[in-house]
Amino acid sequence: MFIKRLPQFEYHYPKSLPELFSLMAKYGDKAKLLAGGTDLLVSMKKREISPDHLINLKEIPELKGISFNEREGLRIGALTTIDEIEQSEIVKNRYQILWEAVSVMASPQIRTLGTIGGNLASAIPSADTAPPLIALGASLTIKGISSERKCLVEEFFKGPGESVLKTDEILTEIRIPVPPERSAGTYLKMMRRNALDLAIVGVATFLKLDRDKKICEDVKIVLGAVAPTPIRAIRAEKLLIGKELNEAIADEAGRIASEESKPISDVRASKEYRKTLVHVLTRRGLIKVNSMIRERS
Amino acid sequence: MGEYSVVGKSVERKDGRVKVTGKAKYAADLVAPGMLHGKILRSPLAHAKILNIDTSKAKALPGVMAVITGKDFPGIPFGTRPDTRDQLPMPITKVHHFGEGVAAVAAVDEDTAEEALELIKVDYEELPVVLTIEDALKPDAPLVNEFSKSNIAYSSDFVFGDVEKGFKEADHIREEVFTSQRVTIGFIEPHAALAEIDSSGRILLQASKQSPYITWRHMCRALDIPISKMRIVNPFVGGAFSGKHDPFDVDFAAVKLAQITGRPVKIVLNYDEILAAYRQRNAMWAKLKIGVKKNGEITALRAECILEGGPIIGIGSFNIYFFGAFLTVPYKIPAIEYHGKLVYSNRAPCGTVRGQEIVLSQFCRDSILDMVAVDLGIDPVEIRLINAIPSNWKTVNGIVVDVSGLEECIRKAADEIGWARSRVSRPKGRGIGFSCASHPSGPRLGGHFGSSVMLKLVEDGKVILTHGGTEIGQGANTVFCQMAAEVLGLPYEDIIPGVSDSDTTIFDSGMFGDRCTYWTGNATIRAAEDLKNQLAVVAAKELGVDPKELEFKDRRIFVKGNPQKGIDFLLAVRRAYYERGEPLYGRGYWAATDIDIVDWKTGKGNLAHGLDFIATAIELEVDRETGKVTLIKGVHGDDAGQPINPLMLEGQVNGGSAHMAGHALLEESLYDEKGRVLNYSWRDYKQPTSMDTPEYIVEHVHTHDPYGPFGAKGAGEASSCSTLAAIANGIYDAIGVRIKDLPITPEKILKALKEKEGK
Repeated sequence: MFIKRLPQFEYHYPKSLPELFSLMAKYGDKAKLLAGGTDLLVSMKKREISPDHLINLKEIPELKGISFNEREGLRIGALTTIDEIEQSEIVKNRYQILWEAVSVMASPQIRTLGTIGGNLASAIPSADTAPPLIALGASLTIKGISSERKCLVEEFFKGPGESVLKTDEILTEIRIPVPPERSAGTYLKMMRRNALDLAIVGVATFLKLDRDKKICEDVKIVLGAVAPTPIRAIRAEKLLIGKELNEAIADEAGRIASEESKPISDVRASKEYRKTLVHVLTRRGLIKVNSMIRERS
Repeated sequence: MGEYSVVGKSVERKDGRVKVTGKAKYAADLVAPGMLHGKILRSPLAHAKILNIDTSKAKALPGVMAVITGKDFPGIPFGTRPDTRDQLPMPITKVHHFGEGVAAVAAVDEDTAEEALELIKVDYEELPVVLTIEDALKPDAPLVNEFSKSNIAYSSDFVFGDVEKGFKEADHIREEVFTSQRVTIGFIEPHAALAEIDSSGRILLQASKQSPYITWRHMCRALDIPISKMRIVNPFVGGAFSGKHDPFDVDFAAVKLAQITGRPVKIVLNYDEILAAYRQRNAMWAKLKIGVKKNGEITALRAECILEGGPIIGIGSFNIYFFGAFLTVPYKIPAIEYHGKLVYSNRAPCGTVRGQEIVLSQFCRDSILDMVAVDLGIDPVEIRLINAIPSNWKTVNGIVVDVSGLEECIRKAADEIGWARSRVSRPKGRGIGFSCASHPSGPRLGGHFGSSVMLKLVEDGKVILTHGGTEIGQGANTVFCQMAAEVLGLPYEDIIPGVSDSDTTIFDSGMFGDRCTYWTGNATIRAAEDLKNQLAVVAAKELGVDPKELEFKDRRIFVKGNPQKGIDFLLAVRRAYYERGEPLYGRGYWAATDIDIVDWKTGKGNLAHGLDFIATAIELEVDRETGKVTLIKGVHGDDAGQPINPLMLEGQVNGGSAHMAGHALLEESLYDEKGRVLNYSWRDYKQPTSMDTPEYIVEHVHTHDPYGPFGAKGAGEASSCSTLAAIANGIYDAIGVRIKDLPITPEKILKALKEKEGK
């Protein structure tokens, strides 16, 4: 009912992936992985979970850092903090949609703790990094003791708190392709207050226009906090492909996206209000992104 | 007004550096040798009989030193007044709200104490809950408080002036209902207490308290001991806003556990406990009827107010009077009829919050005033100027206003916000709202009510100032040091704030209601004059002059108009100590005996001196599609008399306004149908952040209060009283919808817009 002190647990701090995997194999589901701890430690203090072992991932160098090249795009280690992403020039200049999302997450203090991998692996429906990553076509590298696989961020989530990660696997990195020419995206987040808040609704919109910067060649509309997982508004996207964007069609796409969303009512907002916001934010995002591309020389 | 050297200057706060460097010691930081750690077990039910509490397993846990329940206390109820004693240290027969403490443990460490809580078995018999005003007033409603035979906890009813005549003379009458939600208080430092017992059995309590006197009196009563058996020393306090006046189970449990174990016991709460189970602001239902003439002059007011305040009265008996009494300030109201009720419920206990219930009454009255202004086609600034209370005014209910700078406050606020310009053109969705308010400088309540200050002049010429107010972050220590320095002709840095300790300090009756600067400030001046007189005798002898001829300035004592003929201040101090063997103490007290102890039930009497005035203008923007309100700029025309420390005053004014912006737009403590709190974390309870706060400007309107220290009035609470209506009125100006039900959420705005467009 009320927060308590952390329960007792054994603490491990592997320095390499092999060391990590052997600990994971040894303790199985008795262990939890500790990244930023901004969700995990709170759950433990609430006694929602009481793992016997905590394995700190922060001392494994391979899991950290941001790198970029024009061929493969951006690589972000899963243990990179939200603050490090916010401070990254390359993210700010080339992946503005992601930068917008990280810069409105929680508070500056919490951003120095929370990690992008933790934000994804916790799989909460309002996770701010998910909609932009899905819109950018990002993929995840998932490693086990003797396995490695790739998974699109879009296919990663299974439900609130659930992902495709198995107990013997970890998320090691996020890879984001180089955004195509004449493309841009934005993440619009509605909160009750202007900082330190969860999204009531988060909408990532991404457009790629044709050579004349008129017709939408590729469209991504990704909605957060309005379904058990982040979802794409596929029908709204389809409406726009091959068309020139204007207020009316953007509004229609917003209306369709709103239909596609499946929000719930809770202490933060009603279902109806969330649907209204999906409509409005989708339209605003599309208009904004369209003019961003057109205004770019 | 003379030229001051220290008063009126924005000197650095006495506690600024120690606080921002993290070195200040708050109650939770204190450590005593052999100290145990306490924890409190809380009720999962909002209303239930306590059938049995089995603590045997908890007591048997190694490391547990004591376990207590309500039965360990004498069973003597306490309360604000003799007729409102309805609380126990911890409950004995029933629990009244979700999260109420039912048992407490002291153990060698916090983990053991927490483990012990899980071993305590409480048998409850669940009772139906009373959550709302409607629930409480149902004829067959379950009774909430075991000391009361009714759910109506207190009432206040009065008629002043000829109300019928007033409405008859009115050209326009309007009646509206307003409601306001449960909000929490929002200080930074959670409740914490360290209790120790000395070898004679005397209690030492060091806790995070706003009004140590109130805590002291109530605790000693409920513990059935004389007050001399308890000593209270106040550490640094991290804000209170009226949330830390009275003793809580935290304080009682720490003392009782220390008594049983013979060891110091410290209890520090987590913030979720505070959000769920400690003081909040009353929920309100109010109906106002206003009569006005064509020119906007108010002719009469009729008001009903019901406050839902949780299972105790607390200060609620004053709140329910205060709401009605301050409907007649700061506008000229020739007649008022008021009926107020406070009801019990099974939600968290209420006290009050910054600005007290004036916050709620001014919201209702300044909203309805705006509505009639629209009806009559009168400019909102104009209608406020027409009705503004001038100096030397007596309200119909007997409150005397000596000095009012309200008219100038209104004009300055309107100018600075750009009101006239905004009527010519403004961006779509933008609006400006006005509200005025007034707050007294410390009402006189029953019992002990004076303020006192002691100055100890040390051999090195520095002065240690101890006072009966409490430094809770508002800056009391700083302003008193400024005042003492001014009187003694010393630099500000020569005055050192001393410790607030009931063994050496005579506590003020409480630290509330814009009282401290005014009352304790006056006591400071008197203490400094007392000290000055003693030194003047010493210096006069040295100089061979009459003590009355002497002036104190720049660490010198000299004959007025002849600075050469004088001695250093320090030399006079040394003469006193080394040649006369005379210790130098300055004592001073102040008590407004010429104001009344108001009868809260009938509202008769002049409550206080030093009414401060404010006119607040807030510019905001409303997003018509999302309903989101963005505050852009807030301007306060503020009459706090002579500002003692303008920068700190601005902090108080702006802070009060930012605080209430949360009440207006964001905050609400939510309960489910069984009375369980739904949002008791800072994640889900939305207090505003700095990112939600507009640019603020304070326009000081200097007046000189005849009773105030250096002409100052109290400050800090008026802006909280003027902010709610300014925001509601601004939203109306922006988009033409009127929200009378707080908080003004985006969803309510969208619904109202839809209704408006549907018409």
